[in-house]
Amino acid sequence: MFAAGIDIGSTASKAVVLAADGSVMGKEIVPIGTGTVGPARVFAQALKSAGITRDDIKWITATGYGRFSFEGINDQKSELSCHAKGIAQLLPQTRTIVDIGGQDIKVMRINDKGMLLNFVMNDKCAAGTGRFLDTMAKVLDVEVTDLSDLSFHSDEPAEISSTCTVFAESEVISKLAANMRMENIVAGIHKSVARRVASLVQRCGIQLEVAMSGGVALNKGLVQSLEEEIKCPIKVHEDCQLAGALGAALYALGSMQSAGTV
Amino acid sequence: MADVKTSLAQFEEISSNPQRLLQNYLDADEKVIACFPIYTPQPLVLAAGMVPMGIWGGQCNAHMAGKYAPIFTCSLLRSCLEFGMTGAYKGVSAAIMPIICDTFRGMNSAWRAGVKDIRPITFIYPQNRKDPGARDFLIEELKTVRSALEEISENQITNEALQEAIELCNQRNAAMRTFCETANEHLDLVKPVDRHHVMKAATFLRPEETIERVSALTEALRAEPVCRWTGKKVILTGITCEPDEILGYFADNKVAVVGDDLAQESRQYRSDYPAAASGMERLALHWFAVHGCSVAHDDNNTVRGRMLAQLAKEQAADCVVLCMMRFCEIEEYDQPSVIKEVTRAGLMSFSIDIDQSTTESGQALTKIQTFAEN
Repeated sequence: MFAAGIDIGSTASKAVVLAADGSVMGKEIVPIGTGTVGPARVFAQALKSAGITRDDIKWITATGYGRFSFEGINDQKSELSCHAKGIAQLLPQTRTIVDIGGQDIKVMRINDKGMLLNFVMNDKCAAGTGRFLDTMAKVLDVEVTDLSDLSFHSDEPAEISSTCTVFAESEVISKLAANMRMENIVAGIHKSVARRVASLVQRCGIQLEVAMSGGVALNKGLVQSLEEEIKCPIKVHEDCQLAGALGAALYALGSMQSAGTV
Repeated sequence: MADVKTSLAQFEEISSNPQRLLQNYLDADEKVIACFPIYTPQPLVLAAGMVPMGIWGGQCNAHMAGKYAPIFTCSLLRSCLEFGMTGAYKGVSAAIMPIICDTFRGMNSAWRAGVKDIRPITFIYPQNRKDPGARDFLIEELKTVRSALEEISENQITNEALQEAIELCNQRNAAMRTFCETANEHLDLVKPVDRHHVMKAATFLRPEETIERVSALTEALRAEPVCRWTGKKVILTGITCEPDEILGYFADNKVAVVGDDLAQESRQYRSDYPAAASGMERLALHWFAVHGCSVAHDDNNTVRGRMLAQLAKEQAADCVVLCMMRFCEIEEYDQPSVIKEVTRAGLMSFSIDIDQSTTESGQALTKIQTFAEN
């Protein structure tokens, strides 16, 4: 018998399938989120990579922005609870988690069991979020995945507003018009995001070790900028983008065991 | 039980339909004075023989208010302006506007420009609340409100009538406090949204009607068995906690509201008008007795946080939820010190965004659910 977790975000869908002993049997990411075919597709792919069918799954827990809309789930959990649980499994020494999602930023402090002690989320504003980086990449006409490498070739990061995506977009266009090097603009964008996130980290309180979850954590340039702002190292697991789905799958496994269906 | 349910349904009806209540007053040839938040001197309205009705904006996608109030204006006051400009308050004789924050300064001008048929009656609460001259200043300010109300009502406001109105408001405050205490013993019957409807309806009803209705509800609750609540408990702080959906999220996640410091709710009822020689002096002294409130300056910025921590301790609450009114800078300024004191007391806290310009509240749900799950 198997348990599954599906994390339906605003920009990507992620799924993890666990065996009864907790081992990961399947894990998949599809770069489209809620309101699209992404959730169904990622779930089907995770089943396929685990070599099982839908009937083999005894419990499905959904999380993320689209957690209420996926059919056939057994229950749903908030994405903060799932990221906390997932990161506690991936990087057990973590006590502070930063998750930059598609449309929000979350900072969590957890105990050694992955239970949340405190959390802070940004308000309704795209500044500092994954969506902000997507917008900036479009303005610069580069892939969002290229931002990291570009920033490492900066010699003088630009000053970009941390206040608002729309303002920042105007600033970036102005800097392009002034022939500023793209590498410096990208580094400035990372700094802008890092400052925004750092203020939330300070508000939540830092306890070492610090880890990042979510797809934005794969942007090494941004991680470095954030390390400079919060003045401590940040750990990033290779499966950082799957942390929410893993947490959901762990909740599903727990529910499955409680229900005696293992 | 039927009494409790019926009573709560009536409060919901009043809370959700203030325009209907306004029309009832107008149909009965009553003059109604709109009272902007917060600490509006309602006894003066009552002593003039008129009806004070609170105005708290409401969920709306403003399309007129933008002419005078930019998008970064306090969400609540922007909604009030929108409703004023679109005729929702039609029929009220005037609107009392205490200038208690910078947004109100701009709103004063905006209202005069955009809402031609409702006279604003403005006055200033002094933020220096220690100088002996502050009391005299405030009494002079309140005299201008009194004069305007006398002109509108064509009644002279006597000291006797004012003292009587003040006593009535104090009785109303006591009834509200007793209700809150009693409701905490019946959290199975009084859900967060029910509690809110009772508190909000009281801002629209005449004080004597509030006393009658709220006391009857309190008595009906007392007749019910006490509930041993096993879910989590929270204290709400901020200006308002609306719309109803947000309060529904607390109930859906088995989280009870056992106390509040909301401007729309308990902040209005927690302190009485103190005793003094004259009614005008009592109104003024009330302002100086206000503490732990974002619109009233305290030299010691720990007061509100400590007060909330104490309230949480008394009610065995697990968490303080900061309901942050969109673009309300005075609440934003208070937030760090409140969180610091609440954390120092060993309590959890988190904030939710309150925005009258949208019905989207998914982030609030995520935060409330996260709190409930951990």
